[in-house]
Amino acid sequence: MHEKEKDLISAFMRGQVDRRGLLKGLSALGVGLGAGGTLLNMMSTTALAADFDWKKHSGKKLKLLLNKHPYADAMIANLDSFKQLTGIEIAYDVFPEDVYFDKVTAALSSGSTEYDAFMTGAYMTWTYGPAGWIADLNEWIKDPTKTSPQYAWDDFLPGVKASCAWNGQPGGALGSDDAKQWCIPWGYEQNSMTYNPALLEKVGAEVPKNLDQLIETAGKASKDLGGPYGIGVRGSRSWATIHAGFLSAYSNYGQKDLTLSDDGKLAAAMNTAESKAFHGKWVQMIQDGGPKDWSTYTWYQVASDMGAGNSVMMYDADIAGYFMNGGDNKMAGKLAYAPFAANPEAKAPTPNIWIWSLAMSNFSKDKDATWYFIQWASGAEHAIFGATKMDFVNPVRQSVWKDEIFREKLNKGYPGYVNAHDTSAPGARIYFTPQPLFFDVTTEWAATLQRMVNKEVPVDEGLDMLAESINRQFKEAGLG
Amino acid sequence: MESTSLLERILRGVALVLVVVFFMFPILWIVLMSFQTNETILSVPPSVIFSPTLENYQALITGKLTTAAGTLDIAFMRNLGNSVFLSTASVLIALLLGVPAAYAFARHKFRGSEDIAFTLLSFRFAPPLLVLLPLSLYFQKLGLSDTYFGLIWVYQLICLPLILWIVRGYFEDISADVEYAYRIAGHSWFATFRKIALPLAGPGIAAAGLLAFIFAWNNFVFALVLASADKQPVTVGALAFVTASGIQYGQIAAAIVLSIAPVLALAIYAQRYLVEGLSLGAVKG
Amino acid sequence: MASVTTPQKTASGFKISRRWLPYVLSLPALLVCIGILVPFFTAVVYSFQRYRLSQPWARQFNWGENYLNFLYDPAFWNTLKISLIYAGVTVVLELALGLGIALLLQKRTRINNFVSIMLLMPLMTAPALAALMWKLMTNPGFGILSYLASLVGLQNFRWASSPDTALLTVVLVDIWVYTPFIMILLLAGLRSLPTQPFEAAALDGVPRSFVFFRITLPMLTPYILTATLFRLLDSIQQFDIIYAMTQGGPGNTLTVFQVEAYLNFFQSTNVGRSAALMIILWAITYILSNIFIKNWLRLRERARGEA
Repeated sequence: MHEKEKDLISAFMRGQVDRRGLLKGLSALGVGLGAGGTLLNMMSTTALAADFDWKKHSGKKLKLLLNKHPYADAMIANLDSFKQLTGIEIAYDVFPEDVYFDKVTAALSSGSTEYDAFMTGAYMTWTYGPAGWIADLNEWIKDPTKTSPQYAWDDFLPGVKASCAWNGQPGGALGSDDAKQWCIPWGYEQNSMTYNPALLEKVGAEVPKNLDQLIETAGKASKDLGGPYGIGVRGSRSWATIHAGFLSAYSNYGQKDLTLSDDGKLAAAMNTAESKAFHGKWVQMIQDGGPKDWSTYTWYQVASDMGAGNSVMMYDADIAGYFMNGGDNKMAGKLAYAPFAANPEAKAPTPNIWIWSLAMSNFSKDKDATWYFIQWASGAEHAIFGATKMDFVNPVRQSVWKDEIFREKLNKGYPGYVNAHDTSAPGARIYFTPQPLFFDVTTEWAATLQRMVNKEVPVDEGLDMLAESINRQFKEAGLG
Repeated sequence: MESTSLLERILRGVALVLVVVFFMFPILWIVLMSFQTNETILSVPPSVIFSPTLENYQALITGKLTTAAGTLDIAFMRNLGNSVFLSTASVLIALLLGVPAAYAFARHKFRGSEDIAFTLLSFRFAPPLLVLLPLSLYFQKLGLSDTYFGLIWVYQLICLPLILWIVRGYFEDISADVEYAYRIAGHSWFATFRKIALPLAGPGIAAAGLLAFIFAWNNFVFALVLASADKQPVTVGALAFVTASGIQYGQIAAAIVLSIAPVLALAIYAQRYLVEGLSLGAVKG
Repeated sequence: MASVTTPQKTASGFKISRRWLPYVLSLPALLVCIGILVPFFTAVVYSFQRYRLSQPWARQFNWGENYLNFLYDPAFWNTLKISLIYAGVTVVLELALGLGIALLLQKRTRINNFVSIMLLMPLMTAPALAALMWKLMTNPGFGILSYLASLVGLQNFRWASSPDTALLTVVLVDIWVYTPFIMILLLAGLRSLPTQPFEAAALDGVPRSFVFFRITLPMLTPYILTATLFRLLDSIQQFDIIYAMTQGGPGNTLTVFQVEAYLNFFQSTNVGRSAALMIILWAITYILSNIFIKNWLRLRERARGEA
């Protein structure tokens, strides 16, 4: 390697030159972008190794449990550099998303020592943590002998990071001072607006700015277009229906799922007058402008409709909109993105988020080595690699969002994506109250929503019944 | 039976066509889908006019799946191999254990025979989840989790009761007189069983074996809970096409076609036993 | 049959008394299954506990509380009702259809044999995948079935997504998958019936309906019972089709036992309630199969007596 190139990369490592400047400089020196990236990775690996004993666990073997997901693919593609850096061998089991969490629950509940680390969502740690299946990662993050000085824990988006930390008390605030870090965020999804500009134009409408406009536009689109419908949202009988667009909009009106009394008792909070008004609007939106078979809709149907040009808008995971804009989808390259604040009086969007994270099994036989893996996989180097070379969106580190190459890649093919993300990011966090009955509450909530949309029960009555049932379950479980 | 009127023959023909249309149309549609890209599958309104592609099969067989999120590795062929191995081994063992037992229940009224037979049946109606979760704990302790041996053992829950009870019915339909005569001629019990009873009950055994094979083939919860990724059957493998970057209907369709093929081949092979039926007219007393 | 306990020579040469032979034949099968009993009893213990994986500190025996709670739980009674309706409707329809098809294919012709094998194909598609395909075929936009329905004037037929037609839709898929199971068993049964009674009836000019109800059906009854029994056991435990199509919705329209138990275990991790639900399901199937077996044995005895 020539000295000039080395100098340039070292300058980058010291933070004197940014990534863009570095690659520009390299190309001026006649090093192509690809080769420059490889050089950079090599150098990063060397640089990483400089201040920290990465080889401490060399020769050990770890096994991961992974979901079939682009994040996992990006990690697997970069595994060699982990092996080079640490000398740790990694084996992994990949399971399809449909059955992934069943596999995790089965493996952990039987106390299996097979897996050292695994992918999870933050909601699931509300079960795994109290059950004693996963380790509180603060122990490692805060230990300078175990965590590299370059890990930059502060670099993580604060709302995302906090959403993965909970003190284990039913109703305890996420990210509180006494919270345990049950998992490390890896990649995340904001629930915001993806739309089809051509179809929207056909209807003669603007991108809706709030829920009332959305109801009107979606209804009009369904009526006028004769085929495609207005707004795609999930509707299956599952927690996932509540967690996506629904809770994002709900929170925007300042509404809560549950309340915690001073003496630590949980109670349902979805039967307030404001909540009832909101539910009424949401139900109307689906009835007028939603998919006809809404109540069977999971994320992949919402997404494939968008990708096939069968819906005008989608209020769901932004990364689902990202993927539908590529591949062999009919609408590839034809979709656009916008932030969405449902409440006209709200200052900014409040997207509820899904966070794919990494957790450490408490049954792992070598936790220190496992932490090395988690540390590397959630580190800035891998995040940059994934974001620029693979489809590792959305990254959870602020530095990656500042990366010019990454922003340019998004701005080129995904109009409005970065803006939607940046506008929403300050308000992006989990808006659910963490508690052991999370899945009971949300599944029943979804079932009630289905009954309202199908006109089996009026909104007011349905919510009162729901609240009553949830309160009864809290009492039974000793929580209310 | 031969004196069927023309009207009846027409009615029968119409009924048969309706039956074939109802049961085969979805299959035909799946086959058609397996030659389409996601884009043409997801077109409104659905159409039978498309330019066929072999992409889906190619992806499954080579293990490289191209999606919106780049190329994914899939282990579909390995899944298929696992299914073949697990189902075959399970059914063979179930036949080995079940057929003699079925014979015993059919031919011998012994103390507790009905109780044992019923207990064996009752394994079939324990909901799999109920048994599976505590079982995964014990498997962990016994070192059986994530082994083919453990899986095949648990698959007996599906295969054994089915084989036992269906084959038992067939044995009971065969008159014991022939066997009796053979025994009196000085042949051993085992020879009688092998030379007389087994061939006579052949069709029943073939039908029960095939059905047990199909049920074992379609199962996925056992392997999912008890084994790691490299031992998963095709039913779990096919779910891999519901990916984070969208659902790959074309590949799911191709996966279904590929997963039906071996079972269909087996059924066609076993056809003469299956549908020839028993020619028991002479045997039955 | 001689009940004298004379020693018999077996193939391998050593002697097993006639009395023990049936035990020797049936015990291996029993032994292989007996291991399964241990986890079963563990699950029974769970069902008497307050046991949520997410609240390990609250785990304790609450004796019958999980069961007693069901008495006042409308969701449970709904589950019971739906499960029984689902099982009843699918089994009756599949039996009628399966018998009809078996009768159509009874004659041993090439085409009949071919058709009977082809008809097994739905059974060979894993129910979870079959349900995924049906979900696509009934999608109002891309779905071929929705499209065909609209051609015959059913413009807004909502299949599994409407509470009015959800049961109908999953029953339809169940019929599609499992009717071949009954068909093939009954076909094998039909073709193995002795020919003499039919020949005699034909000679005497007995009306066909009489032949069917008085000869065919009674002789076929043991086969019908076996097929029905297995179908019933599976149907009341249906999970794959319902979960993949609707996850138990819309509302609580299709929350059958296994769907509830699955959600209770894997999502809510409420092991106690989940186990109690499954024990009740087990008890129901136990009682049903007991009734069936009693009748099956009685019929067998009678058939033997007549023979």
